[in-house]
Amino acid sequence: MSHLEKLGATMNRRFLTVVTTTFVLATALLGQAPAPPAAAPAATPAAAPAAPPVPITDADLKSIPAPKAEDRAKGDPDGGLTGTVSDVTVSDAKKGLSIGDLANQVGQNKIAINFVWTLVCGFLVMFMQAGFAVVETGLCRAKNANHTMMMNFMVYGVGMLAFWLIGFPLQMGGVGAVANLGGTPPINAEYTIQLFGKAWGLWGQNGYFLFHNGTYDVGVMVVFLFQMVFMDTALTIVTGSAAERWKYVAFIVSSFVLGAFTYPIFANWAWGNGWLANLGANYGLGKGYADFAGSGVVHSVGGLTALALAIIVGPRIGKFTRSGKPNAMPGHDIVIVLTGCFILAFGWFGFNPGSTLGASGNGALRIGSIAVNTMLAGMAGSFGAMLYMWLRYGKPDASMSGNGLLAGLVAITAPSGFVNPVSSVIIGLIAGVLVCLSVEFVERVMKVDDPVGAISVHGANGIWGVISVGLFADGKSNYGGSWNGVTGSVTGLFYGDASQLVAQLIGVSTLIGFVFTFSFVVNLVIDWVVGQRVGAKAELEGLDLPEMGALGYPEFELKPAMVRSGS
Amino acid sequence: MLLAGIVATFAGFLISILSLTLSSSVGGRMVIVLIGMIVSLFGIIGLINKAYLKDAIWKK
Repeated sequence: MSHLEKLGATMNRRFLTVVTTTFVLATALLGQAPAPPAAAPAATPAAAPAAPPVPITDADLKSIPAPKAEDRAKGDPDGGLTGTVSDVTVSDAKKGLSIGDLANQVGQNKIAINFVWTLVCGFLVMFMQAGFAVVETGLCRAKNANHTMMMNFMVYGVGMLAFWLIGFPLQMGGVGAVANLGGTPPINAEYTIQLFGKAWGLWGQNGYFLFHNGTYDVGVMVVFLFQMVFMDTALTIVTGSAAERWKYVAFIVSSFVLGAFTYPIFANWAWGNGWLANLGANYGLGKGYADFAGSGVVHSVGGLTALALAIIVGPRIGKFTRSGKPNAMPGHDIVIVLTGCFILAFGWFGFNPGSTLGASGNGALRIGSIAVNTMLAGMAGSFGAMLYMWLRYGKPDASMSGNGLLAGLVAITAPSGFVNPVSSVIIGLIAGVLVCLSVEFVERVMKVDDPVGAISVHGANGIWGVISVGLFADGKSNYGGSWNGVTGSVTGLFYGDASQLVAQLIGVSTLIGFVFTFSFVVNLVIDWVVGQRVGAKAELEGLDLPEMGALGYPEFELKPAMVRSGS
Repeated sequence: MLLAGIVATFAGFLISILSLTLSSSVGGRMVIVLIGMIVSLFGIIGLINKAYLKDAIWKK
């Protein structure tokens, strides 16, 4: 027997001795003799008698052996000596390990797991910026590559600055306790008004510069990082719809306002203890507006702002004939477009499962089903779009298949935490077809030029995702026994709760009626002040030189793309 | 037309909000919210966008 095996056997014996002694002492103290085990009937297994409680004292803990220093010095190739009682932090070295120390360690381990989970998921979402950048750039013409890439690059910094200065406190400054992240007590001041006899939360008030009112706090930092990358996702959606003709300075100002005000206000209403979240508690509408990871908060806000901007900026020169017939203006690199779609699909595993804000406690173990729902809906979306395009136009269009994948992912973002896998596939499949129909509607009926399909992928399918919660939520989720302060699980119309659908529709109406209007007016003012659109000469030349001062591909000779009419 | 579009789009939102006080039944609220959404969509597609299409660059 090796030395390590001897140590293990000794530890086991001592542990059994401790438990047995404790058990006997406990039963003696409580005046209860240990009950003899009941004889089980021959045919039917009886339930095992409940074990009496075994009190553990600080004294018991002292007899738990720790690995010897000389053994640890020899290394630990199988990990058997690492992570033992000796790794538990002791608050008082003189007294040694106590029950309190153990309880604190368990609590910290739970929060540590949740911190790491949320942070890593946030890092994945941050990487989605790269996916958006190459998708949008690939779908634009080569003469605008530098400009499109630079917008996607700088939107990260512009958005983060706006969110740190203004947006975060507005969004999360009144959210109250985030139990999975240790309670986050400093972000607890929501500004409310009285309306229809109820308190309506409008915006948060704590957290300016991550320093104000005690928000220099470990839990608040995790919340900030995760919410910041979500906000930046919404911002980068907009750059696609206005690509190839958006003045760079206008992009900076517009993105700042979106990150500082538009996004945070709606996000507060939905996620920050605002009035939409409280539709259930205040008006009995299901569990209130439920948007698990942001089909509405992130994607519809981005998509509807993209629509407002695309209307204001107007279509690219050559996009429509004089009779209003659309011309196809193909992107310059389908390879990076589909590569970007994969990057986004990868990042979505941070987006949706990460929205549990933890992997331990309060139903967070649903991360597995959330991840599976996410991948299934993306798959169904790409199939839906590919089949639609194949049947309608005779070819399985690559860029629309990519948009179908993204549409499925956008649509499942809100319901991912509340639905089962079959519903996920249905939601994704509908999203894949919807994105194709929406692209055609936006282009042919509205005559709005959206070079990357951002309005359809994120706006239309974000709304579909929000509605689908009200239809498909199966009432099986359990995130700590309640959602938005209402006891029970989010349950949609098909599973018996029509009022949840009403809450979702009010959310959609808020997106269309409030968020769009706010974004439109803001961008209208920017248009009047600095101008949203570049001059015709710069647009025809390509924005790389006039706006950025350098070509995206300086060694290539760019030729005008052949324009196909009536796509 | 542009201003009317902005007003109509925002009015649709207000109509939806009013559903919370105008009706206490789920069906009644749903109908009112749907009316609000239609008003907002009309404001965007039928008024705001049309106002911009009047002077669209491709018509010049």
